[in-house]
Amino acid sequence: MTRESDVVHSLVEMADTLVDDYDVVDLLTGLTDRCVSLLAVSAAGVMLATPTGSLGLVASSSEAMRLLELFELQQQEGPCLDAFRSGERIHESLTAGSGRWPRFSTAAGRAGFQSVVALPLRLRDVTLGALNLLSTSRSPMAEADIIVARAFADLAALSILQHRASTEAQRLNEQLSAALTSRIVIEQAKGVISERVGIDLAEAFARLRAYARNANLRLTDVAQAAVDGTLDPRAWTAPARN
Amino acid sequence: MPGDRLRRVLAELSDGESMWPAARLCAVGPRITGANGVGVMLMSGDIPSGSLCSSDEVSQLIEDLQYTLGEGPCVEAYQNDKIVSEPDLADPQTHRWFAFTPPALKAGVRAVFGFPLRVGTVRLGALNLYRDRPGELTAEQHADALVLADMTARWVLDAQAGAPSGVVAEALEAGADFHFAVHNAAGIVSVQEGITITEALIRLRAFAYSNDRPLADVAQDVVAHRLRLG
Repeated sequence: MTRESDVVHSLVEMADTLVDDYDVVDLLTGLTDRCVSLLAVSAAGVMLATPTGSLGLVASSSEAMRLLELFELQQQEGPCLDAFRSGERIHESLTAGSGRWPRFSTAAGRAGFQSVVALPLRLRDVTLGALNLLSTSRSPMAEADIIVARAFADLAALSILQHRASTEAQRLNEQLSAALTSRIVIEQAKGVISERVGIDLAEAFARLRAYARNANLRLTDVAQAAVDGTLDPRAWTAPARN
Repeated sequence: MPGDRLRRVLAELSDGESMWPAARLCAVGPRITGANGVGVMLMSGDIPSGSLCSSDEVSQLIEDLQYTLGEGPCVEAYQNDKIVSEPDLADPQTHRWFAFTPPALKAGVRAVFGFPLRVGTVRLGALNLYRDRPGELTAEQHADALVLADMTARWVLDAQAGAPSGVVAEALEAGADFHFAVHNAAGIVSVQEGITITEALIRLRAFAYSNDRPLADVAQDVVAHRLRLG
């Protein structure tokens, strides 16, 4: 296959994994592997912003890359951090002990890396993290390669956002279901108690709630016990106090 | 342009407000989709949990029948996660929904359509449309219904996002019918007959079905002690 068809093939494959449920870490690890196999780079890594705004390491194409990125996070200096903070592409040759990130450059040099490209993972105004590409060559990365890396980064950003939205939707839906179920059990318990004692539904609810409060129990748990027939009879014999 | 369609549906829905009531979803539904009526059913697990809104009495009946019988266009759209289209309920070739179809036809329903409510992979329920004459939806109406279903699904999650954990959002409960009286009645019947709640719910549904009555009416009678199953 030509390089173009390799790239297209990779993009299609990544897009395919976005259908239904997918694992973001798997997807991003796949992304770093593809960067290494399709671009003139030696290692790739992805960092993502945590809810508190700091960056965390998510995927690396190699152990050397993982250690270097951890070093970058510990020292709080390096290309990934700058790309994330500025939202701009970074493209630099590395010289040990000097330049923008003297400590990072020294550590990178020890691992054999001589130049770096860092791209923000960004959708419109939101920067989600950054993609780090390191090369053992000092010569700058070709513009054609950067365009491919940009396409990978955009797809990764899109997949992360989509995954977050889907997780949030899942959480809200479960919360709604749980709230409805709890309401239903309470309505059933009102029916049970009203029939046992010969009182109306409102009075049954008042007694149920008063009992839950005094016993320091959750209303839903008390209601479930009433429905299951395991509730202490004192729960309904005592008229509710206001 | 898909963006134009979305803008048009949104304009109908919002009427200038940022948060509109659930009732508006159903109220403007017929105008948006060209149906006689629309209803929104919420599902939980594999069963209907209630009706968010309905545009008219016939739509409400469609929702109630599905709640009572556990079958119909919304239930099927939700369970199969597919759009359901039944352009002629009276067609003798139609063997769908053995219990749902006769009372729906009697109420004047000829065609029904169900659109799943989903956000990403999360499924919430279904939107149903009905018409009093047979026929498929046009491509335009179909697309409008899809957009309306999408807006509705997002509306439900947005509304619930504002509620404290364990509580159904007020905006969702206002105007919705979660059939709480049916559950009150199930509690009463379980004590009267010495059976479990699940059995009591089945008994109530069976009674409603065999007496050709809405489950909600039967429940009201049980709660008011006008009716005792047994």
